[in-house]
Amino acid sequence: MPHIDVELEKLKKKLLEMWDLVEYQLHSGREAMLKADQVMAEQIIKRDRKVNQFDVKIDRMCENFFALFTPVAVDLRMVLAVLKINANLERIGDTAEGIARFAKKLDAPVNEDLLEMTSLLPMYEEAMSMLNDCRIAFKTNDPVLAKTLIKRDKGLDKIYRKSDRIVTKYMAAHPEKISEALAVLSIIKKVERVGDQVTNIAEEIIFYRDAKVVKHKQDKKKKKD
Amino acid sequence: MSRKHNKLEAINLDAYYGDFHALKGINIAMEEKNVTAFIGPSGCGKSTFLRTFNRMNDYIDGFRTEGDILLDGKDIYTKEVRVDELRKEVGMVFQKPNPFPKTIFENVVYGLKIQGISKKAVLEEAAEKSLKRAALWNEVKDNLNKSALALSGGQQQRLCIARALAISPSVLLMDEPASALDPLSTAKIEELIYELKNDYTIVIVTHNMQQAGRVSDNTAFFYMGELVEYSKTKTMFTSPQDTRTQNYITGRFG
Amino acid sequence: MTNSEKNRLKDKAFQVFGVFCTFIGLVVLAVFLFDIILEGARRIDWDFLVSLPSRRAARAGILTAWVGTLWILVLTTIIAFPLGVAAGVYLEEYARKSKMANFLEINIANLAGVPSIIYGLLGLEIFVRQMNLGGSLLAGALTLSLLILPIIIVTTREAIKSVPRSVRDGSYALGASKWQTVWNQVLPASFGGILTGIILALSRAVGEAAPLIVIGALAYVPFTPSSPLDEFTVLPIQIFNWTSRPQAEFQTNAAAAIIVLLIITFMLNGIAVYLRNRQQKKIKW
Repeated sequence: MPHIDVELEKLKKKLLEMWDLVEYQLHSGREAMLKADQVMAEQIIKRDRKVNQFDVKIDRMCENFFALFTPVAVDLRMVLAVLKINANLERIGDTAEGIARFAKKLDAPVNEDLLEMTSLLPMYEEAMSMLNDCRIAFKTNDPVLAKTLIKRDKGLDKIYRKSDRIVTKYMAAHPEKISEALAVLSIIKKVERVGDQVTNIAEEIIFYRDAKVVKHKQDKKKKKD
Repeated sequence: MSRKHNKLEAINLDAYYGDFHALKGINIAMEEKNVTAFIGPSGCGKSTFLRTFNRMNDYIDGFRTEGDILLDGKDIYTKEVRVDELRKEVGMVFQKPNPFPKTIFENVVYGLKIQGISKKAVLEEAAEKSLKRAALWNEVKDNLNKSALALSGGQQQRLCIARALAISPSVLLMDEPASALDPLSTAKIEELIYELKNDYTIVIVTHNMQQAGRVSDNTAFFYMGELVEYSKTKTMFTSPQDTRTQNYITGRFG
Repeated sequence: MTNSEKNRLKDKAFQVFGVFCTFIGLVVLAVFLFDIILEGARRIDWDFLVSLPSRRAARAGILTAWVGTLWILVLTTIIAFPLGVAAGVYLEEYARKSKMANFLEINIANLAGVPSIIYGLLGLEIFVRQMNLGGSLLAGALTLSLLILPIIIVTTREAIKSVPRSVRDGSYALGASKWQTVWNQVLPASFGGILTGIILALSRAVGEAAPLIVIGALAYVPFTPSSPLDEFTVLPIQIFNWTSRPQAEFQTNAAAAIIVLLIITFMLNGIAVYLRNRQQKKIKW
């Protein structure tokens, strides 16, 4: 394998390792939330430092790669994509940490009815599944799969938009559970952010494979209308 | 990973062409099985320095050195050192491909023949091994008796590398080995260097900054006969310590 | 007339002048050749080539002359080739830039300019008298060798100089010594050039009469030489001899001998040109 490909492969491998860690963080966040497991939540918060280390390391590797190989064309787009995906993964890691912080505040597992009404769990599942599919899309260089993710994010947005009203209603009915309800609302918000970040990553994958810019397409359309 | 030992070293090395002070107090140590790139503007002394390692400067009238050049810890500028023995250990590839006006086979085995080796089987085996190592075998195996001058520039340069490898050196000096070649041939030579560093200590002089970045582990920047900076290539290319290095690698002077 | 038109006119004028100059030489040569051939061609036949010289023009031939010329050619080559090449190699590859080397160089250049009759006198004193060789083939060959040595040395040096430095570097870098480099790389690569120089030098030696006359090469030798110590004559001397006679038949003989001499010279030059072309085709630096 040519030298440049060896180095690119290293970069890709590092990013996938980080991806695994971030997925694990998100997964743990859900467990901690459902079980109100404060020890687990604490561990997640601590582990975020590791995610940050990955972030710094991959930034460094990209910097070196630019300096040493002056990449062009597909190589250039690849490294640019890795750089941006890295930033997005780091933020998903932060989101997982944020979820853990809310989980830490919970005294007891979240009320089942509230979970049911807000569809938080399916939403969480979907977000994690999207992140995993996105990983596959990156690993297998699959822009088609990446494109489906952008559509799937709409589902998350829908749940998020409804959640306001549902939680307000719930809080009115159970004034003693306002803080719990607020925590759930915040977590929903965070999960919605995960969906956005996965979308961003998917857009980077499409850019890297097809050299097409798909982000901000919506903005343009709106402006035309 | 086991610690690599220093293959080549220069200690307080000064070199002169007559009155001209070409190298000023150079101190450097290069680990074995590494690629070290020498960069710097023309006339900075990098080629002169490269040629002290196989004493190619000996033929230049008025050239002299002070200080020590060590190969495996032994000074190579003492009277006991025989230059032909030294050059069996330290091979060299030049800027312009310089095959001899003979057949491809004769080119590869020349170094062995002048050592007195004449057994056909030995020579043939060595030729095949070296040509394979230099990634040229598949292109020339049916034409070993064709003139080397009929090869393309890139092939000629790989032939010169094969020729150097045939006498099994441990160090390979390369003086701008790709500067006379087209981009594709250059890429081939660079890949070859990347392969060869598993077995050889390589020192390469280059004017092409990107090339230094792609092929080398360490980089030394020379300016006006001084060694300005010597560090890991990635360190030098992302955060050089000296402003002169910074200016040179960013193309702001030189 | 504009400036550029003027310039173009000057350009054209010089071209015409150049063509004229070139043709002067060629025309003179052509006239000379035409004259000689007209006079001598009918005289050349087998008998002319294989007959001994004679006082009677019709029976005289050039056998001894061309055999002598051949002998001289071979002997001169044997003597001058190794000496000249060795000296050239020494001066170009080994001699350090010193006062001694400078002195040698200037003298070699001077030698090339010395009139050939002086070489004849030198040969007469050293080879004929001191070394007691008499007017033999060996004395003649030695004298002519002296005459062409400077040419061989200079052309050898030029040929060696044209071998690029990179080839020497490549050889040294592989651990070759100076001698190995010269013997294996420099000489083979420059051999065509050296050979060309030698042949051109020989074709000059073939035409020389003066130094050989001085050392006493005889015009009338009734036998073909069979050893280097035999007396001899060569074509130029035979021609000189015949042209100095009053009878018209001998003038015709001279013309015929000139044609033979010219053929030998042209052949030598032709070989030189052929070798040079082959060399250029074989080696493109």
